[in-house]
Amino acid sequence: MDKKIGVYVCKGCGIGECLDVEKLAQIASQEYQIPAAKTSAAFCLEDAQVIREDVEKDGVNTVVIAACSPRVNTDVFSFRGATVGRVNIREQVAWSHQAGHEETQALADDSLRMGIVRAQKLRLPTPYTEANERAVLVVGGGVTGLTAALEAAKAGHNVFLVEKESTLGGFAAKLYKQFPKRSPYRDLEDTGVQALIAEARKHPGIEVMTGAVVSKISGQPGRYEVSVSANGSVKNLVAGAVVQATGWKPYDPANFERYGYGRCRNVVTNVSLEEMASKGAITRPSDGKPANTVLILQCDGTADEEHFPYSSSVTCLVSLKHALYVRQRNPDATVYFVYRNMQTPGQYEYFYARVQEDPGVLFTRGEVTSVTEDAQGSLVCELEGTAVGGAVRVKADLVVLATGMVPVAVESDGLNLEYLQGKGLPATKFGFAESNYLCFPYETRRTGIYSAGSVKKATDLAGSAADATGAALKAIQAITLSSAGAAVHPRVNDLSFPSFFLQKCTACGRCSQECPFGAIELTPEKNTPFVVTNRCRRCGTCMGACPVQIISFDDYTVDMVAGMIKAVEVPEGDDEKPRILVFACENDAYPALDMAGINRLQWPASVRVIPVRCLGSVNTIMVADAFAKGFDGVALLGCKSGDDYQCHFIKGSELLGTRMTNVRETLNQLMLEPDRAQVITVEISEYNELPTRLAAFVDSIKAIGPNPMKGF
Amino acid sequence: MAGGVAVEPDLEFKRRILGLGARNLTACYQCGTCSAVCPNSTPDNPFPRKEMIWAQWGLKDRALSNASIWLCHQCSTCSAYCPRDAKPANVMAALRDYSITHYAFPRFMGNAVNNPRALPLLFAVPVILFLSILASLGNLTSLPAGQVVFSKFFPIIYVEGAFMLAMGFTAVAALVGGSRYWNAMGRALGGSADGAGPSKGLMETVGHILKHRKLGQCEGNRVGTRDTHKSHLHHTHLLVFYGFLGLVATTTAVGVGIYGFGYPTPWPLWHPVKILGYASGAAVLAALGVFIYRRMADQEKAGKTTYSDWLFLDVLILTTLTGFLSSWLRLAGVAPPAYWTYFIHLVLIFFLLVYLPYSKFAHLVYRTTAMWFHASRAL
Repeated sequence: MDKKIGVYVCKGCGIGECLDVEKLAQIASQEYQIPAAKTSAAFCLEDAQVIREDVEKDGVNTVVIAACSPRVNTDVFSFRGATVGRVNIREQVAWSHQAGHEETQALADDSLRMGIVRAQKLRLPTPYTEANERAVLVVGGGVTGLTAALEAAKAGHNVFLVEKESTLGGFAAKLYKQFPKRSPYRDLEDTGVQALIAEARKHPGIEVMTGAVVSKISGQPGRYEVSVSANGSVKNLVAGAVVQATGWKPYDPANFERYGYGRCRNVVTNVSLEEMASKGAITRPSDGKPANTVLILQCDGTADEEHFPYSSSVTCLVSLKHALYVRQRNPDATVYFVYRNMQTPGQYEYFYARVQEDPGVLFTRGEVTSVTEDAQGSLVCELEGTAVGGAVRVKADLVVLATGMVPVAVESDGLNLEYLQGKGLPATKFGFAESNYLCFPYETRRTGIYSAGSVKKATDLAGSAADATGAALKAIQAITLSSAGAAVHPRVNDLSFPSFFLQKCTACGRCSQECPFGAIELTPEKNTPFVVTNRCRRCGTCMGACPVQIISFDDYTVDMVAGMIKAVEVPEGDDEKPRILVFACENDAYPALDMAGINRLQWPASVRVIPVRCLGSVNTIMVADAFAKGFDGVALLGCKSGDDYQCHFIKGSELLGTRMTNVRETLNQLMLEPDRAQVITVEISEYNELPTRLAAFVDSIKAIGPNPMKGF
Repeated sequence: MAGGVAVEPDLEFKRRILGLGARNLTACYQCGTCSAVCPNSTPDNPFPRKEMIWAQWGLKDRALSNASIWLCHQCSTCSAYCPRDAKPANVMAALRDYSITHYAFPRFMGNAVNNPRALPLLFAVPVILFLSILASLGNLTSLPAGQVVFSKFFPIIYVEGAFMLAMGFTAVAALVGGSRYWNAMGRALGGSADGAGPSKGLMETVGHILKHRKLGQCEGNRVGTRDTHKSHLHHTHLLVFYGFLGLVATTTAVGVGIYGFGYPTPWPLWHPVKILGYASGAAVLAALGVFIYRRMADQEKAGKTTYSDWLFLDVLILTTLTGFLSSWLRLAGVAPPAYWTYFIHLVLIFFLLVYLPYSKFAHLVYRTTAMWFHASRAL
């Protein structure tokens, strides 16, 4: 189908007062010979009808609207049967640059040119709709898994619940009581896990498999082929999405020899205390006598990384519960509670205060420096840095080591993914399976697989249940969107996916290596890539990675960006009119520019912005193209990388950082100063500083001088 | 190798402190805000954070052999700023309360004065003593006739005699109690002695007390703007202090007048000593009025009012009131009420002075000891 482009330039919201809109429309009609180039006082009001009529009656199938940011009015500027390209001349031109200035007009002109070229090269994606299984696979039958299964089943999805133990309930089933979850947060509560198990067993939509492990998962969101092994037999099933609720295990106390573990008979872990409490009296393992003095030591959160580097509120709250166990069974008992960090977030503060009210529980911050045993098995604990005052020595019948919660090995255990990139979820800091907790708590680094509960973060029972509900909902969302071939996150509803021009492929495999989501597999032997569509998050990191530029999306290609770069008019011989190209990440940097515009902050009119899906999708050839075109500098505006990365696609900005080495080499080859290309990291909240940073970059480029390749 | 100091929590002690108006003690989570805001604590000797955990852990020896509990003048800034509402000022007051009993000599007196059930017995001692004196003089069956003159009813020599004897006991008890406390602080501090030494320390302490320097600091060094409900403390205590000194001076002058110059009572109303007595009495009464009013009006906002607080305040105000009343009744010439009011007045004075080392009045002994010790040993 031939493209018929219509260009609509809006005068509203101050655009008309800032720019010569008629002259702008002439660019479309004269430079690009587009007959339908119209202007209006406000296209978002009644004049939307003008565009609609052009689409319906005159066969316009590609609409270019030069008006507000593509981030707003998406509902108004949506026309059945036409693709819509937006040119942002409001936030990023009229609102952020000097009105009536020739450079401002030049900026608007170039923006429209880039918009038209983009529209010319745009193709409507054809979605992949072959994967539409609706069942949910839940791995792990603890409180998290049970809750996720029930929530998904209640929403009408069939659920396969796989538990490796012979019984359901996970760790919760081993607990005597749980710390309070309800106001007034004073009394210990039953776990309620038996009721949960009964409900899951009874639900017709849930198929429970105990004593079973997932031996294989292949495929993609919308259609995972799953093998479950139980009792020596293998069962094959299909599911649309996966919830990983494989939970946690106690930290190995063998490392706590310095606290007497394994050396003194009456040093036990919090797990053993929980068992004792379930069975009956709390006694000394050495002689079975009641423990009249108990020292509970918080072992997590040590300063030295070799032991247990992070601490968790759950461990603290469990220890508070244990203090009550001891006191309630033996009213004459004394409990010493030694901690490094007391973490009782939110309403749990009331529980902390309640345990403090018990006069038999004595709290102090401090470090245990030694634990020794006397002939009777009693323990002498030396403490340092206490609030009581320096080093003190206390006697105890029993020492309870509150060890931390460690997630199951997510990279190896639980899922057995048949992915080229590994059989588990890539682990983040401290081995948990998560992605970016603040921005999108449910996402892992594998699309369609959602982690929940303590495998993601040390979590209590209430937190696990809440987390499970969210994960179930995400699984359902993944199933629904995958069946339509649409991306789930963060480019929700995006139908495009990468395609490969394999004739030119060098089979280097870099696209597969760099894909943060394991979406690109390699054909055996030939080593050529193919995309497992629904695993893809459409970030374009592969497109940026490919050294021979053979990866493209229907609506996003290297060629498209190159065309946009070429469309810009670069003035020659005028040192006061440099041209700077900015590749702006659509997730944070581009909205930050919009925010700056909304706040009427000004930045130099020499800057031309091309939005990109992620900095990871910037191919080095795009930077080279910009310099070949005569741009004096190139800035790459994106998210922070590193341990506390903010990249929505995990590795995009990090990968670009390494690619910049190549960029600098390219600049050297072109006999250009490497400083002409720079990465500027920005968070959306830093929009107010962004204009200053851009101005500083422009100044630094002016100081270097014009690009000598102008005009070649 | 056994490092660190062995600690043995005494939970009974903790329970006692909780019962002495410090039930919020357990809420403390050792943030140290109290020590930071305290206008009187210094970086070298911060309090009351450490006293809080010592009380929580029942570390009786540490808590009691410590000058800070008495260096605190109960401005309640700590309670106003405590984020957990643990009311450190109440804990300090409770520790002081407890320590008075703890160091008391003889010990049973300490327990008796702080036990409501022993109150009738405590009053019975002076009542019986004075009644038996009166009976032996024959004044019990028939009151003296004619103009009301108290020495006719209860000759000065008997009053003086009884009180001298009783005050002798008081002095011994105060001395023993004070030295017990001093020695305990000395043991806790160990060998270090950076202070000014006992004589210079005492001079400094007396100077501080006369000026109420510490209470002045409570106001002067206040941080923040929260209401502590104790802003009246400095000036009101100055008033009661000098009023009391005035009454002591009056009594001494009267004694000197009688025995030195044979100048028999009652003295005329215009006499300067008489005027001093009335003025001092009025000062004490006014100050006590403020104290009682603030305790009632502020309820527990300024801190819990315990048995020992009320006992001390009530006995003090009743003593002053009966003093005034007996004087007026004497002038009005109504014999029986005047004599019996005077009798009650004497009983109350006995109660106040003889039980001094065991009541809240003992702050005179222990706070002075703490300030003196701190100035001499531990600056």
